[in-house]
Amino acid sequence: MSLVETRGLTVRFGGLVALDGVDLRVAEGESVGVIGPNGSGKTTLFNALTGLYRVAAGTILLGGEKVGDLPPHRIARLGVARTFQSSRLCPNLSVVDNVLAGMVAARRTGLLDAVVRRGRVRVEMREAIARAGHLLGLFNPELPARGWERVGQLPQIDRRRVEICRALATRPRLLLLDEPSAGMNPEETAELMKDLQIVRDEMPGLAVVIIEHDMFVIEGVSQRVIAFNYGRKIAEGPFAAVAEHPEVREAYLGKDTVRA
Amino acid sequence: MILVWAAEAVVLVLVVLGILVEAPLALAGTAAAGLAALVLVRVRPRLRAALAGAFAEHPTAALAGGAVCALALPFALRASPYWTFVATLALVYVVIGQGLNLQIGTAGLINLAGAAFAGLGAYTVGLLTVSAGWPAWLAFLAGPVVAVVVGTLLFVPILTTRGHYLALVTIAFVFIFNVLMNNLEFTGGPQGIKNIPTLRLFGYAFTTAPTVLGIALPAHANFYFAAVALAALATGVIRRLHDSWLGVALNTLRDDEIAAKCCGISIARAKLTAFCIGNFFIGLGGALYAVMVGFVSPPDFDFGYSLIMLSVIIIGGVDSIPGVVLGACLLVPLPERFRFLHEYRLLLYGVVILVMLLYRSQGLWPAAVRRYR
Repeated sequence: MSLVETRGLTVRFGGLVALDGVDLRVAEGESVGVIGPNGSGKTTLFNALTGLYRVAAGTILLGGEKVGDLPPHRIARLGVARTFQSSRLCPNLSVVDNVLAGMVAARRTGLLDAVVRRGRVRVEMREAIARAGHLLGLFNPELPARGWERVGQLPQIDRRRVEICRALATRPRLLLLDEPSAGMNPEETAELMKDLQIVRDEMPGLAVVIIEHDMFVIEGVSQRVIAFNYGRKIAEGPFAAVAEHPEVREAYLGKDTVRA
Repeated sequence: MILVWAAEAVVLVLVVLGILVEAPLALAGTAAAGLAALVLVRVRPRLRAALAGAFAEHPTAALAGGAVCALALPFALRASPYWTFVATLALVYVVIGQGLNLQIGTAGLINLAGAAFAGLGAYTVGLLTVSAGWPAWLAFLAGPVVAVVVGTLLFVPILTTRGHYLALVTIAFVFIFNVLMNNLEFTGGPQGIKNIPTLRLFGYAFTTAPTVLGIALPAHANFYFAAVALAALATGVIRRLHDSWLGVALNTLRDDEIAAKCCGISIARAKLTAFCIGNFFIGLGGALYAVMVGFVSPPDFDFGYSLIMLSVIIIGGVDSIPGVVLGACLLVPLPERFRFLHEYRLLLYGVVILVMLLYRSQGLWPAAVRRYR
């Protein structure tokens, strides 16, 4: 059984159909790339999967259960985590706090513990901070030592890593990465690809869906590629096959080029 | 440890001198001494590091020293019931400020109805004791509860809206509260509620002037000590909440609601939690005010006081718990010290806020990174 499945997923903004009857499946542990020109519905797909956009028609199944009508925080608790195209970290909070945000939903101590049973909170916080340090250390051994700095002071690549750590901190089953290489130079992009490989190695059961414009990244990290245009799925399969698909070439290069 | 206590003693002496010294020359001298101390700490990095290190190393000693200073203050001010009252009022603002800062600073819920929620606490005490004949303590505890309940009932639909809707609605709420208090029969209208019975502890009325260690203190000293206890309680509770999952959740949703949602944080629940806890302490401050003054009337809780509460937070440092204490202890007594400023008090606050936002938007005591200790 697939981990995530959408059937006829449709999202509308007034008259505009942003996603048009999309069927897709992602299995546990699979790594899927999503490509398509600007405005083709890639981010809309993520926003629908995470509950940020209302689904106009169709269903989203997560582990066989319908989640299309749940609010975003409930979907997140069911194991869907994501990063955003432009960073959505809290720059004034510490690196540790940003990662801890991903662990809030699974907390074991409540308000009363925080006020009168401080010992329990301290133990739990120590564990959580250690786990945050472990996650950060996976990508950059120097990051855990910078845990108490404000996240805004980190370089771009480390900020992206913190964002991935925050997503991983929720213990997701499905990780959605929205253009992680956006705004990065080639060296940073190469670093990022190593990081994504680390995620795959460390969490073998985790399904990863990645939106990218950089075909190099897509080719390097995804087992399967889905191409979108005008809100519809136009091709699906291994990278080489999708890249050769006439509709994909047309979407990227225009009609005349393909004919010529 | 000695260094910690020495620093605290210097602050206490400067505060007492600043309050009591009458001659203009001596006052200028005190102000100059205070400024000199600040400048000295600023330009001498080694002194600053030594002080910071000492405070970090001996937090318990620092806390104990602070408590001793706070408790010693009324003895130094014993000749002046008025200044004992002003010091107590500053502590009431600490209680209110901590509650409001959890809402505004930590959660980003711009609540400009601080005066109304404090008023709810105060009027509840007045009505329950004077009209309903409740025991003073019970009414005193009911005050903050009513502030929480009314706040919850009225604001649940607005809490989850984003942007400045909440700020606008809370402004409206202060005015509605004032109009109602002015016009309702059972709240006494513009005359308010008089003769609110004072608190009694084991038959000892809080309005009797106490004699401690053979030193006679003004009657308000009782309330001063009670206010120290409540301010410490509010500060301690809010600090602990801030240093827990609630603090992380609220800071995250304040900075980015979408990110918080995608982390599995329930925005509605977290905001309601912050709003209720905040209103509890604001209502508690109001209730304390009511039993202390023994009289509540609508002008005590108008919009201007909401702005004073907001200034306390902005000047101390948004989301900064020690900042609230500093802000309240500076902002409340200052206009009382310089009576000629009193009429221009709101203007003064306005200017101070403007200057702060322009040149030091993080406040006098900016929020530090959370360390979970």
